[in-house]
Amino acid sequence: MKLRILLADDHEIVRRGLRSLLEKREGWEVCGEAGDGREAIEKALELKPDVVIVDIGMPNLNGLDTTRQLLQHDPHFKVIVLTITDSDQVIREALDAGARGFVLKSDAARDLVAAVDALQNKRMFFTPRVNDLVLAGFLEKGHAVSRTEAPKLPTLTAREREITQLLAEGNSSKEVACLLNLSTKTVETHRSNIMRKLSFHSIRDLVVYAIKNNLIQIELPPPPPPKAPAGPAAL
Amino acid sequence: MTIRILLVDDHPIVRQGLKTLLEGRAGWEVIGEASDGAEALEKAKELNPDVMVLDVTMPRMNGLEACRVLRRQAPQLEILFVTQHDSPQMMREAIDAGARGYVVKSNAARDLLAAVEAVSQHRVFTALNVREATELN
Repeated sequence: MKLRILLADDHEIVRRGLRSLLEKREGWEVCGEAGDGREAIEKALELKPDVVIVDIGMPNLNGLDTTRQLLQHDPHFKVIVLTITDSDQVIREALDAGARGFVLKSDAARDLVAAVDALQNKRMFFTPRVNDLVLAGFLEKGHAVSRTEAPKLPTLTAREREITQLLAEGNSSKEVACLLNLSTKTVETHRSNIMRKLSFHSIRDLVVYAIKNNLIQIELPPPPPPKAPAGPAAL
Repeated sequence: MTIRILLVDDHPIVRQGLKTLLEGRAGWEVIGEASDGAEALEKAKELNPDVMVLDVTMPRMNGLEACRVLRRQAPQLEILFVTQHDSPQMMREAIDAGARGYVVKSNAARDLLAAVEAVSQHRVFTALNVREATELN
């Protein structure tokens, strides 16, 4: 029987690359594709894939919340998170969300097949940096230093995180209501609760929060060029 | 029509996606790949492609710098940017640097073939997310 994989990434060109990579493996099949987290959940529930590969930085619903919601629907889903960064915070959030694999997008051509292989064999797959962080966390616990000692941020519910992402992406309350099939009044109530919990007074604060907490990702311009070389580059 | 293409992007998985799309077109051939601007200069010299599909943000040397150098060194080469930057300012910079085309990565599956075809015939092709694709003679 074929191993069935669902791909979720907002860039069709990336999905094409991933599909081409995965389908080279005999017995593996990409059974579906999704362009955002919401579509990924719909397709996963419909297609029941063996493995779901989700990009973290997707519009409408990011990959971490997609992972959380998928596992709430069915804890048997095996999810691999694709990310452009392996910062401590992203790693922790991916682990907390329940991902069983964690692959850097830049290394996907090298690591993704191994990651799917690992999940297929009921193992997990993480980059060396994730392994280091998990080990450090384990050793930290051994020294009785608990993560609970760190100052805690107010916790948003899954619905509040979804709404925060959509507002930070520039949607109005009415548009969010439409996207989530809620009344505008309900969204306004969630919005007030979010602002109160986080002690925010403007949408700007919310956008900054969403960026810092990986709910949305921003495009950065390329760094300025280094000083001009002494002569023209050889070609 | 035969078009020989050099792909430049720091993510192998993106190059793979671009390659499968481009090679679906009869006569088009991806003759090489590079993962940054400096490597792009070397490969362009070695392989002499007709079209270079170039990312903006890359390590070592970014696409804009590479484009400026190539404009001087290989004036016959047509350069098409495929980038995540969906911004008129970045598009302006790319065209000023000497590119003939500009496509946003999220729309590459839609715009890339038309863009490569246009630039290979020395026509300008630019397409942002917010605009319709435009092709200028």
